[in-house]
Amino acid sequence: MQVYLPIAEMSVDALLLVGIGFGVGWLSGLFGVGGGFLLTPLLILIGIPSPVAVASGANQTLGASVSGLIAQWRRGNVDPKMGLVLLVGGFAGSAAGVQLFGLLRRIGQVDLAVALFYVVVLGTVGALMVMESVRAILRRRQAMRRRLHEHLWAHGLPFKMRFRKSRLYISVIPPLLVGFLIGVLSAVMGVGGGFMLVPAMIYFLGMPTSVVIGTSLFQVVFVAANVTLLQAAQLGTVDIVLTMLLLAGGVAGAQFGAAMGTRLRGEETRALLGLMVLAVAASLLWELVRTPERLFTSGPAL
Amino acid sequence: MIRGALTLLLLLLPSLLLPTRLAAQEQLLVAALSQTAVEVTTGFTGATLTVFGSTDQLIGPGADEVLIITRGPTRPLVVRRKVRAAGLLWVNGPSARFGYVPGYYALASTRPAWQILPEEARQRNGIGLDALPLESTGARSPAFRAALLELETASGLWSEDSTPVEIHGSRLFFTHLELPATVPTGDYRVEVLLVRSRRIAARQELTFRVDRVGTADRIATIAELQPVVYGLTCVLLAAFAGWLGSVLFRRG
Repeated sequence: MQVYLPIAEMSVDALLLVGIGFGVGWLSGLFGVGGGFLLTPLLILIGIPSPVAVASGANQTLGASVSGLIAQWRRGNVDPKMGLVLLVGGFAGSAAGVQLFGLLRRIGQVDLAVALFYVVVLGTVGALMVMESVRAILRRRQAMRRRLHEHLWAHGLPFKMRFRKSRLYISVIPPLLVGFLIGVLSAVMGVGGGFMLVPAMIYFLGMPTSVVIGTSLFQVVFVAANVTLLQAAQLGTVDIVLTMLLLAGGVAGAQFGAAMGTRLRGEETRALLGLMVLAVAASLLWELVRTPERLFTSGPAL
Repeated sequence: MIRGALTLLLLLLPSLLLPTRLAAQEQLLVAALSQTAVEVTTGFTGATLTVFGSTDQLIGPGADEVLIITRGPTRPLVVRRKVRAAGLLWVNGPSARFGYVPGYYALASTRPAWQILPEEARQRNGIGLDALPLESTGARSPAFRAALLELETASGLWSEDSTPVEIHGSRLFFTHLELPATVPTGDYRVEVLLVRSRRIAARQELTFRVDRVGTADRIATIAELQPVVYGLTCVLLAAFAGWLGSVLFRRG
Protein backbone atom coordinates (compact mmCIF):
# COMPACT_ATOMS: atom_id res chain seq x y z
CA MET A 1 0.00 0.00 0.00
CA GLN A 2 1.61 3.23 -1.16
CA VAL A 3 1.37 6.31 1.03
CA TYR A 4 2.39 9.86 0.14
CA LEU A 5 4.73 11.53 2.63
CA PRO A 6 3.78 15.23 2.61
CA ILE A 7 7.12 16.64 3.79
CA ALA A 8 9.45 14.21 2.02
CA GLU A 9 7.17 14.76 -1.04
CA MET A 10 7.42 11.18 -2.14
CA SER A 11 5.37 8.03 -2.12
CA VAL A 12 6.57 5.02 -0.13
CA ASP A 13 5.15 1.60 0.68
CA ALA A 14 3.42 2.00 4.06
CA LEU A 15 3.93 -1.67 4.93
CA LEU A 16 7.67 -1.32 4.33
CA LEU A 17 7.79 1.58 6.83
CA VAL A 18 5.71 -0.29 9.42
CA GLY A 19 8.00 -3.29 8.85
CA ILE A 20 11.15 -1.24 9.37
CA GLY A 21 9.58 0.26 12.50
CA PHE A 22 8.73 -3.23 13.76
CA GLY A 23 12.25 -4.58 13.10
CA VAL A 24 13.98 -1.63 14.74
CA GLY A 25 11.46 -1.68 17.63
CA TRP A 26 12.10 -5.40 18.12
CA LEU A 27 15.85 -4.86 18.32
CA SER A 28 15.45 -1.87 20.62
CA GLY A 29 13.20 -3.85 22.94
CA LEU A 30 15.74 -6.67 22.90
CA PHE A 31 18.74 -4.48 23.68
CA GLY A 32 17.10 -1.66 25.63
CA VAL A 33 18.21 1.15 23.31
CA GLY A 34 16.14 3.51 21.17
CA GLY A 35 17.32 2.07 17.88
CA GLY A 36 17.66 5.44 16.14
CA PHE A 37 21.15 4.51 14.98
CA LEU A 38 19.66 1.72 12.87
CA LEU A 39 16.57 3.61 11.78
CA THR A 40 18.10 6.71 10.19
CA PRO A 41 20.53 4.79 7.93
CA LEU A 42 17.71 2.43 6.91
CA LEU A 43 15.46 5.36 5.97
CA ILE A 44 18.27 6.91 3.90
CA LEU A 45 18.79 3.52 2.27
CA ILE A 46 15.16 3.31 1.05
CA GLY A 47 15.48 6.77 -0.52
CA ILE A 48 14.19 9.20 2.12
CA PRO A 49 16.25 12.42 1.83
CA SER A 50 18.87 12.64 4.63
CA PRO A 51 17.42 15.79 6.30
CA VAL A 52 13.93 14.25 6.52
CA ALA A 53 15.33 10.91 7.71
CA VAL A 54 17.34 12.58 10.48
CA ALA A 55 14.50 14.82 11.71
CA SER A 56 11.80 12.13 11.55
CA GLY A 57 14.20 9.64 13.13
CA ALA A 58 14.57 11.93 16.14
CA ASN A 59 10.78 12.25 16.29
CA GLN A 60 10.36 8.47 16.20
CA THR A 61 13.04 8.00 18.89
CA LEU A 62 11.06 10.34 21.14
CA GLY A 63 7.94 8.19 20.82
CA ALA A 64 9.81 4.94 21.24
CA SER A 65 11.60 6.17 24.39
CA VAL A 66 8.48 7.53 26.15
CA SER A 67 7.06 4.09 26.90
CA GLY A 68 10.42 2.94 28.26
CA LEU A 69 10.73 6.05 30.42
CA ILE A 70 7.25 5.56 31.91
CA ALA A 71 8.13 1.98 32.91
CA GLN A 72 11.50 2.99 34.42
CA TRP A 73 10.02 5.97 36.28
CA ARG A 74 7.44 3.72 37.92
CA ARG A 75 10.21 1.47 39.21
CA GLY A 76 12.09 4.48 40.57
CA ASN A 77 15.07 3.96 38.28
CA VAL A 78 15.38 7.59 37.21
CA ASP A 79 17.75 10.10 38.83
CA PRO A 80 15.87 13.34 38.00
CA LYS A 81 18.64 15.63 39.26
CA MET A 82 21.30 13.97 37.11
CA GLY A 83 18.77 13.88 34.27
CA LEU A 84 18.20 17.64 34.52
CA VAL A 85 21.93 18.42 34.51
CA LEU A 86 22.40 16.19 31.46
CA LEU A 87 19.40 17.87 29.90
CA VAL A 88 20.82 21.40 30.29
CA GLY A 89 23.88 20.23 28.37
CA GLY A 90 21.63 18.33 25.97
CA PHE A 91 19.47 21.33 25.08
CA ALA A 92 22.53 23.48 24.40
CA GLY A 93 24.06 20.66 22.38
CA SER A 94 20.98 19.96 20.29
CA ALA A 95 20.50 23.67 19.55
CA ALA A 96 24.14 23.87 18.40
CA GLY A 97 23.70 20.63 16.46
CA VAL A 98 20.68 21.90 14.52
CA GLN A 99 22.64 25.03 13.56
CA LEU A 100 25.53 22.83 12.45
CA PHE A 101 23.08 20.71 10.45
CA GLY A 102 21.62 23.78 8.74
CA LEU A 103 25.13 24.95 7.83
CA LEU A 104 26.06 21.53 6.44
CA ARG A 105 22.88 21.55 4.36
CA ARG A 106 23.74 24.93 2.86
CA ILE A 107 27.22 23.85 1.82
CA GLY A 108 25.87 20.55 0.50
CA GLN A 109 27.70 18.17 2.81
CA VAL A 110 24.82 16.73 4.86
CA ASP A 111 25.10 13.23 3.41
CA LEU A 112 28.83 13.10 4.01
CA ALA A 113 28.60 14.53 7.53
CA VAL A 114 25.79 12.19 8.59
CA ALA A 115 27.64 9.18 7.19
CA LEU A 116 30.95 10.21 8.77
CA PHE A 117 29.35 10.84 12.17
CA TYR A 118 27.79 7.40 11.97
CA VAL A 119 31.00 5.67 10.94
CA VAL A 120 33.12 7.31 13.64
CA VAL A 121 30.61 7.15 16.49
CA LEU A 122 29.19 3.70 15.75
CA GLY A 123 32.65 2.30 15.00
CA THR A 124 34.02 3.51 18.32
CA VAL A 125 31.01 2.58 20.43
CA GLY A 126 30.62 -0.81 18.73
CA ALA A 127 34.27 -1.72 19.20
CA LEU A 128 34.19 -0.64 22.86
CA MET A 129 31.02 -2.63 23.51
CA VAL A 130 32.37 -5.80 21.94
CA MET A 131 35.67 -5.48 23.78
CA GLU A 132 34.01 -4.74 27.10
CA SER A 133 31.50 -7.57 26.90
CA VAL A 134 34.11 -10.09 25.77
CA ARG A 135 36.21 -9.04 28.74
CA ALA A 136 33.17 -9.41 31.01
CA ILE A 137 32.42 -12.89 29.66
CA LEU A 138 36.03 -13.90 30.28
CA ARG A 139 35.97 -12.33 33.74
CA ARG A 140 32.82 -14.26 34.60
CA ARG A 141 34.67 -17.47 33.77
CA GLN A 142 37.54 -16.49 36.05
CA ALA A 143 35.06 -15.44 38.76
CA MET A 144 36.92 -12.24 39.56
CA ARG A 145 35.37 -9.52 41.71
CA ARG A 146 35.08 -5.94 40.56
CA ARG A 147 35.53 -2.92 42.73
CA LEU A 148 32.20 -1.44 43.77
CA HIS A 149 33.17 2.18 43.34
CA GLU A 150 35.87 3.62 41.14
CA HIS A 151 37.41 7.07 41.33
CA LEU A 152 37.95 8.56 37.90
CA TRP A 153 39.83 11.69 36.87
CA ALA A 154 36.52 13.36 36.11
CA HIS A 155 35.72 13.32 39.81
CA GLY A 156 38.44 15.86 40.61
CA LEU A 157 36.86 18.88 38.86
CA PRO A 158 35.24 21.90 40.63
CA PHE A 159 31.46 22.79 40.98
CA LYS A 160 30.63 19.62 42.85
CA MET A 161 27.05 18.55 43.29
CA ARG A 162 25.43 15.71 45.16
CA PHE A 163 23.32 13.25 43.17
CA ARG A 164 21.51 11.19 45.81
CA LYS A 165 19.90 8.59 43.58
CA SER A 166 23.16 7.92 41.76
CA ARG A 167 25.07 7.95 45.06
CA LEU A 168 27.59 10.38 43.54
CA TYR A 169 29.26 13.62 44.67
CA ILE A 170 30.89 14.92 41.49
CA SER A 171 31.51 18.07 39.48
CA VAL A 172 28.64 19.14 37.18
CA ILE A 173 31.12 19.69 34.31
CA PRO A 174 31.37 16.05 33.12
CA PRO A 175 27.57 15.46 32.97
CA LEU A 176 27.06 18.82 31.25
CA LEU A 177 29.73 17.93 28.70
CA VAL A 178 28.30 14.45 28.12
CA GLY A 179 24.82 15.95 27.69
CA PHE A 180 26.10 18.55 25.22
CA LEU A 181 27.94 16.03 23.04
CA ILE A 182 24.96 13.67 22.96
CA GLY A 183 22.75 16.65 22.05
CA VAL A 184 24.96 17.55 19.06
CA LEU A 185 25.05 13.94 17.87
CA SER A 186 21.30 13.65 18.36
CA ALA A 187 20.66 16.62 16.06
CA VAL A 188 23.11 15.59 13.35
CA MET A 189 22.44 11.83 13.39
CA GLY A 190 18.75 11.77 14.27
CA VAL A 191 19.34 9.40 17.17
CA GLY A 192 18.44 9.56 20.84
CA GLY A 193 21.98 8.66 21.76
CA GLY A 194 21.10 6.02 24.35
CA PHE A 195 23.71 3.63 22.96
CA MET A 196 26.43 6.22 23.73
CA LEU A 197 24.88 7.73 26.84
CA VAL A 198 24.64 4.44 28.70
CA PRO A 199 28.36 3.56 28.45
CA ALA A 200 29.31 7.20 29.14
CA MET A 201 27.24 7.22 32.34
CA ILE A 202 28.70 3.94 33.56
CA TYR A 203 32.36 4.38 32.68
CA PHE A 204 32.80 8.17 32.60
CA LEU A 205 30.44 9.37 35.34
CA GLY A 206 30.57 6.19 37.40
CA MET A 207 26.79 5.93 37.91
CA PRO A 208 25.28 2.70 39.28
CA THR A 209 23.80 0.57 36.48
CA SER A 210 20.36 0.44 38.14
CA VAL A 211 19.58 4.10 37.37
CA VAL A 212 21.50 4.35 34.09
CA ILE A 213 18.82 3.11 31.65
CA GLY A 214 16.02 5.15 33.25
CA THR A 215 18.09 8.34 33.46
CA SER A 216 19.36 7.99 29.90
CA LEU A 217 15.77 7.55 28.67
CA PHE A 218 14.85 10.72 30.56
CA GLN A 219 17.57 12.63 28.72
CA VAL A 220 16.76 10.98 25.35
CA VAL A 221 13.04 11.84 25.50
CA PHE A 222 13.61 15.52 26.12
CA VAL A 223 16.56 15.96 23.79
CA ALA A 224 14.69 14.16 20.99
CA ALA A 225 11.69 16.44 21.64
CA ASN A 226 13.97 19.47 21.41
CA VAL A 227 15.57 18.23 18.18
CA THR A 228 12.16 17.52 16.65
CA LEU A 229 10.93 20.98 17.54
CA LEU A 230 14.06 22.76 16.28
CA GLN A 231 14.26 20.74 13.06
CA ALA A 232 10.57 21.39 12.39
CA ALA A 233 10.82 25.10 13.16
CA GLN A 234 14.11 25.91 11.41
CA LEU A 235 14.48 23.39 8.62
CA GLY A 236 10.92 22.07 8.15
CA THR A 237 12.07 18.49 7.71
CA VAL A 238 9.93 16.50 10.19
CA ASP A 239 7.47 14.22 8.39
CA ILE A 240 4.73 13.26 10.82
CA VAL A 241 3.22 10.64 8.49
CA LEU A 242 6.60 8.91 8.27
CA THR A 243 7.04 9.11 12.07
CA MET A 244 3.62 7.67 12.87
CA LEU A 245 4.02 4.75 10.45
CA LEU A 246 7.39 3.90 12.00
CA LEU A 247 5.94 4.19 15.51
CA ALA A 248 2.99 1.94 14.63
CA GLY A 249 5.42 -0.85 13.85
CA GLY A 250 7.91 0.13 16.54
CA VAL A 251 5.49 -0.01 19.46
CA ALA A 252 4.47 -3.56 18.57
CA GLY A 253 8.02 -4.68 17.80
CA ALA A 254 9.35 -3.40 21.12
CA GLN A 255 6.98 -5.70 23.04
CA PHE A 256 8.21 -8.83 21.28
CA GLY A 257 11.81 -7.72 21.63
CA ALA A 258 11.53 -6.97 25.35
CA ALA A 259 9.88 -10.34 26.01
CA MET A 260 12.71 -12.08 24.21
CA GLY A 261 15.38 -9.91 25.84
CA THR A 262 14.63 -11.28 29.31
CA ARG A 263 15.81 -14.70 28.14
CA LEU A 264 19.24 -13.47 27.01
CA ARG A 265 22.22 -12.87 29.31
CA GLY A 266 23.54 -9.34 29.72
CA GLU A 267 27.07 -9.76 28.36
CA GLU A 268 26.01 -11.80 25.35
CA THR A 269 23.30 -9.24 24.56
CA ARG A 270 25.81 -6.40 24.71
CA ALA A 271 28.30 -8.29 22.53
CA LEU A 272 25.56 -8.90 19.95
CA LEU A 273 24.46 -5.27 20.03
CA GLY A 274 28.10 -4.21 19.66
CA LEU A 275 28.53 -6.42 16.60
CA MET A 276 25.36 -5.04 15.05
CA VAL A 277 26.52 -1.46 15.66
CA LEU A 278 29.87 -2.33 14.04
CA ALA A 279 28.10 -3.87 11.03
CA VAL A 280 26.08 -0.67 10.44
CA ALA A 281 29.27 1.41 10.72
CA ALA A 282 31.12 -0.87 8.28
CA SER A 283 28.36 -0.74 5.66
CA LEU A 284 28.19 3.06 5.86
CA LEU A 285 31.98 3.29 5.55
CA TRP A 286 31.83 1.06 2.47
CA GLU A 287 29.30 3.45 0.89
CA LEU A 288 31.73 6.32 1.41
CA VAL A 289 34.80 4.52 0.13
CA ARG A 290 33.55 2.69 -2.94
CA THR A 291 33.25 4.48 -6.25
CA PRO A 292 29.66 5.80 -6.43
CA GLU A 293 27.36 4.63 -9.22
CA ARG A 294 26.38 8.20 -9.98
CA LEU A 295 29.06 10.85 -9.70
CA PHE A 296 26.49 13.64 -9.85
CA THR A 297 23.66 14.35 -7.44
CA SER A 298 21.08 17.09 -7.46
CA GLY A 299 19.23 18.75 -4.64
CA PRO A 300 17.14 21.83 -3.92
CA ALA A 301 19.16 25.05 -3.85
CA LEU A 302 18.91 26.80 -0.49
CA MET B 1 -37.07 29.48 -11.10
CA ILE B 2 -36.22 26.61 -13.46
CA ARG B 3 -38.43 28.08 -16.19
CA GLY B 4 -36.70 31.40 -15.78
CA ALA B 5 -33.32 29.77 -16.16
CA LEU B 6 -34.50 27.84 -19.20
CA THR B 7 -35.80 30.97 -20.90
CA LEU B 8 -32.54 32.71 -20.19
CA LEU B 9 -30.64 29.77 -21.64
CA LEU B 10 -32.81 29.78 -24.78
CA LEU B 11 -32.23 33.50 -25.21
CA LEU B 12 -28.49 33.09 -24.74
CA LEU B 13 -28.13 29.92 -26.81
CA PRO B 14 -27.60 31.52 -30.24
CA SER B 15 -24.99 33.91 -28.87
CA LEU B 16 -23.27 31.03 -27.05
CA LEU B 17 -23.09 28.90 -30.17
CA LEU B 18 -22.12 31.60 -32.59
CA PRO B 19 -18.58 32.42 -31.39
CA THR B 20 -17.59 28.78 -31.11
CA ARG B 21 -18.77 28.06 -34.64
CA LEU B 22 -16.89 31.03 -35.92
CA ALA B 23 -13.81 30.06 -33.96
CA ALA B 24 -13.94 26.51 -35.26
CA GLN B 25 -13.89 27.80 -38.79
CA GLU B 26 -10.89 29.99 -38.12
CA GLN B 27 -9.02 27.67 -35.82
CA LEU B 28 -6.51 25.30 -37.32
CA LEU B 29 -6.10 23.47 -34.04
CA VAL B 30 -8.36 22.48 -31.14
CA ALA B 31 -7.00 20.67 -28.12
CA ALA B 32 -8.16 19.84 -24.59
CA LEU B 33 -7.08 18.07 -21.41
CA SER B 34 -8.86 15.16 -19.77
CA GLN B 35 -8.63 16.97 -16.42
CA THR B 36 -7.45 20.38 -15.28
CA ALA B 37 -6.67 19.48 -11.68
CA VAL B 38 -4.53 16.71 -10.24
CA GLU B 39 -5.08 16.03 -6.57
CA VAL B 40 -2.19 14.80 -4.45
CA THR B 41 -3.73 12.92 -1.54
CA THR B 42 -1.96 10.77 1.08
CA GLY B 43 -2.56 7.82 -1.27
CA PHE B 44 -1.10 9.56 -4.34
CA THR B 45 1.02 7.29 -6.54
CA GLY B 46 1.13 9.41 -9.68
CA ALA B 47 -1.43 10.30 -12.33
CA THR B 48 -2.05 10.02 -16.05
CA LEU B 49 -3.57 12.86 -18.04
CA THR B 50 -4.73 12.73 -21.62
CA VAL B 51 -4.20 15.57 -24.08
CA PHE B 52 -6.36 15.26 -27.18
CA GLY B 53 -7.52 17.36 -30.06
CA SER B 54 -7.81 17.68 -33.80
CA THR B 55 -6.75 19.95 -36.66
CA ASP B 56 -8.58 21.25 -39.69
CA GLN B 57 -6.57 19.02 -42.05
CA LEU B 58 -5.30 15.46 -42.02
CA ILE B 59 -2.70 14.54 -39.43
CA GLY B 60 0.08 12.07 -40.05
CA PRO B 61 3.21 11.47 -42.09
CA GLY B 62 3.43 13.92 -44.98
CA ALA B 63 0.62 16.02 -43.55
CA ASP B 64 0.17 17.93 -40.25
CA GLU B 65 2.43 17.08 -37.34
CA VAL B 66 1.61 17.73 -33.68
CA LEU B 67 4.01 18.54 -30.85
CA ILE B 68 2.90 18.58 -27.22
CA ILE B 69 5.20 20.14 -24.62
CA THR B 70 4.32 20.09 -20.91
CA ARG B 71 6.25 22.21 -18.42
CA GLY B 72 5.88 22.14 -14.65
CA PRO B 73 6.67 24.93 -12.17
CA THR B 74 10.34 25.89 -12.00
CA ARG B 75 12.56 25.67 -8.95
CA PRO B 76 16.24 26.32 -8.25
CA LEU B 77 18.45 23.23 -8.15
CA VAL B 78 22.06 22.51 -7.29
CA VAL B 79 23.97 19.77 -9.10
CA ARG B 80 27.01 18.51 -7.27
CA ARG B 81 29.84 16.33 -8.43
CA LYS B 82 31.42 13.85 -6.07
CA VAL B 83 35.19 13.95 -5.86
CA ARG B 84 37.65 11.79 -4.03
CA ALA B 85 39.01 13.52 -0.93
CA ALA B 86 42.45 12.48 0.34
CA GLY B 87 42.32 9.56 -2.10
CA LEU B 88 39.86 7.74 0.15
CA LEU B 89 36.39 9.15 0.70
CA TRP B 90 33.91 10.38 -1.88
CA VAL B 91 32.63 13.84 -0.96
CA ASN B 92 30.53 16.44 -2.75
CA GLY B 93 32.89 18.67 -4.67
CA PRO B 94 32.21 21.39 -7.27
CA SER B 95 28.61 22.41 -7.85
CA ALA B 96 26.53 24.30 -10.38
CA ARG B 97 23.36 26.17 -9.44
CA PHE B 98 20.52 26.22 -11.95
CA GLY B 99 18.06 29.02 -11.28
CA TYR B 100 14.91 27.94 -13.12
CA VAL B 101 14.67 24.22 -13.59
CA PRO B 102 11.24 22.94 -14.69
CA GLY B 103 10.01 20.43 -12.12
CA TYR B 104 8.37 18.53 -14.96
CA TYR B 105 9.04 18.47 -18.68
CA ALA B 106 7.54 16.14 -21.22
CA LEU B 107 7.76 16.33 -24.98
CA ALA B 108 5.51 14.15 -27.10
CA SER B 109 5.15 14.36 -30.85
CA THR B 110 3.86 12.49 -33.88
CA ARG B 111 7.46 12.17 -35.05
CA PRO B 112 10.70 13.16 -33.24
CA ALA B 113 10.86 16.96 -33.03
CA TRP B 114 14.20 17.26 -34.84
CA GLN B 115 12.66 15.58 -37.89
CA ILE B 116 9.69 17.87 -38.23
CA LEU B 117 11.10 21.28 -37.27
CA PRO B 118 14.20 23.18 -38.40
CA GLU B 119 16.92 23.21 -35.74
CA GLU B 120 16.71 26.95 -35.23
CA ALA B 121 12.94 26.92 -34.55
CA ARG B 122 13.34 23.98 -32.20
CA GLN B 123 16.01 25.71 -30.13
CA ARG B 124 14.14 29.02 -30.05
CA ASN B 125 10.95 27.41 -28.71
CA GLY B 126 12.72 25.19 -26.18
CA ILE B 127 11.45 21.99 -27.78
CA GLY B 128 13.43 18.98 -26.63
CA LEU B 129 15.54 18.33 -23.55
CA ASP B 130 18.70 19.61 -25.26
CA ALA B 131 16.93 22.89 -26.07
CA LEU B 132 15.83 23.66 -22.50
CA PRO B 133 17.00 27.11 -21.45
CA LEU B 134 19.03 26.23 -18.35
CA GLU B 135 21.18 29.05 -17.01
CA SER B 136 23.70 28.07 -14.37
CA THR B 137 26.14 29.70 -12.02
CA GLY B 138 29.11 28.02 -10.40
CA ALA B 139 31.00 25.21 -12.06
CA ARG B 140 31.23 25.79 -15.82
CA SER B 141 31.61 22.27 -17.19
CA PRO B 142 28.79 21.13 -19.55
CA ALA B 143 28.89 17.82 -17.67
CA PHE B 144 26.67 19.40 -14.97
CA ARG B 145 23.91 20.14 -17.45
CA ALA B 146 24.23 16.65 -18.90
CA ALA B 147 24.06 15.17 -15.39
CA LEU B 148 20.94 17.20 -14.60
CA LEU B 149 19.24 15.86 -17.74
CA GLU B 150 20.22 12.32 -16.79
CA LEU B 151 19.03 12.63 -13.18
CA GLU B 152 15.69 14.20 -14.07
CA THR B 153 15.07 11.67 -16.84
CA ALA B 154 15.91 8.80 -14.49
CA SER B 155 13.40 10.10 -11.93
CA GLY B 156 10.66 10.19 -14.58
CA LEU B 157 10.12 13.92 -14.21
CA TRP B 158 11.61 14.77 -17.60
CA SER B 159 10.89 12.81 -20.74
CA GLU B 160 11.23 13.16 -24.45
CA ASP B 161 9.33 11.01 -26.92
CA SER B 162 8.63 8.38 -24.26
CA THR B 163 4.94 8.31 -25.22
CA PRO B 164 4.23 9.30 -28.83
CA VAL B 165 1.31 11.41 -29.97
CA GLU B 166 -1.06 8.83 -31.46
CA ILE B 167 -3.36 9.50 -34.36
CA HIS B 168 -6.86 8.09 -34.88
CA GLY B 169 -8.31 8.15 -38.36
CA SER B 170 -5.98 10.95 -39.47
CA ARG B 171 -8.28 13.33 -37.58
CA LEU B 172 -7.90 12.91 -33.84
CA PHE B 173 -4.61 13.06 -31.98
CA PHE B 174 -4.00 12.21 -28.36
CA THR B 175 -1.19 11.47 -25.92
CA HIS B 176 -0.85 10.48 -22.27
CA LEU B 177 1.07 12.55 -19.73
CA GLU B 178 2.56 10.36 -17.04
CA LEU B 179 2.99 12.25 -13.77
CA PRO B 180 5.12 10.28 -11.27
CA ALA B 181 4.42 10.43 -7.51
CA THR B 182 7.25 12.93 -7.04
CA VAL B 183 5.73 15.68 -9.27
CA PRO B 184 6.04 19.13 -7.74
CA THR B 185 2.83 20.96 -6.95
CA GLY B 186 1.88 24.11 -8.85
CA ASP B 187 0.75 25.30 -12.27
CA TYR B 188 1.55 23.28 -15.38
CA ARG B 189 1.49 24.55 -18.97
CA VAL B 190 0.70 22.27 -21.87
CA GLU B 191 1.68 23.75 -25.24
CA VAL B 192 0.15 22.08 -28.29
CA LEU B 193 1.88 23.01 -31.55
CA LEU B 194 0.67 22.33 -35.06
CA VAL B 195 3.54 21.98 -37.53
CA ARG B 196 2.61 22.38 -41.18
CA SER B 197 5.36 22.16 -43.82
CA ARG B 198 8.13 22.54 -41.21
CA ARG B 199 6.63 25.70 -39.76
CA ILE B 200 4.66 26.23 -36.57
CA ALA B 201 1.25 27.05 -38.03
CA ALA B 202 -0.76 27.25 -34.81
CA ARG B 203 -0.35 26.86 -31.08
CA GLN B 204 -2.73 26.41 -28.20
CA GLU B 205 -1.89 26.63 -24.54
CA LEU B 206 -3.68 24.53 -21.93
CA THR B 207 -3.08 24.60 -18.19
CA PHE B 208 -3.63 22.28 -15.28
CA ARG B 209 -2.79 22.43 -11.61
CA VAL B 210 -1.23 19.87 -9.29
CA ASP B 211 -2.39 20.47 -5.74
CA ARG B 212 -2.03 18.68 -2.48
CA VAL B 213 -5.47 18.09 -0.98
CA GLY B 214 -6.91 16.65 2.21
CA THR B 215 -4.61 15.47 4.99
CA ALA B 216 -1.40 15.69 2.93
CA ASP B 217 -2.15 19.31 2.11
CA ARG B 218 -3.11 20.24 5.65
CA ILE B 219 0.09 18.72 7.06
CA ALA B 220 2.33 20.43 4.51
CA THR B 221 0.56 23.77 4.93
CA ILE B 222 0.76 23.75 8.73
CA ALA B 223 4.41 22.64 8.58
CA GLU B 224 5.18 25.54 6.29
CA LEU B 225 3.10 28.32 7.83
CA GLN B 226 3.26 27.40 11.52
CA PRO B 227 6.44 25.40 11.98
CA VAL B 228 6.49 25.76 15.77
CA VAL B 229 2.90 24.56 16.17
CA TYR B 230 3.66 21.71 13.77
CA GLY B 231 6.82 20.76 15.68
CA LEU B 232 4.94 20.75 19.00
CA THR B 233 2.20 18.61 17.47
CA CYS B 234 4.81 16.13 16.21
CA VAL B 235 6.36 15.96 19.69
CA LEU B 236 2.99 15.43 21.40
CA LEU B 237 1.75 12.89 18.85
CA ALA B 238 4.93 10.82 19.12
CA ALA B 239 4.81 10.98 22.94
CA PHE B 240 1.15 9.95 22.86
CA ALA B 241 1.93 6.99 20.59
CA GLY B 242 4.70 5.97 22.98
CA TRP B 243 2.40 6.26 25.99
CA LEU B 244 -0.26 4.22 24.19
CA GLY B 245 2.38 1.57 23.57
CA SER B 246 3.28 1.44 27.24
CA VAL B 247 -0.40 1.01 28.19
CA LEU B 248 -0.82 -1.84 25.71
CA PHE B 249 2.44 -3.33 26.92
CA ARG B 250 1.35 -3.37 30.57
CA ARG B 251 -1.81 -5.26 29.74
CA GLY B 252 -0.03 -7.73 27.49
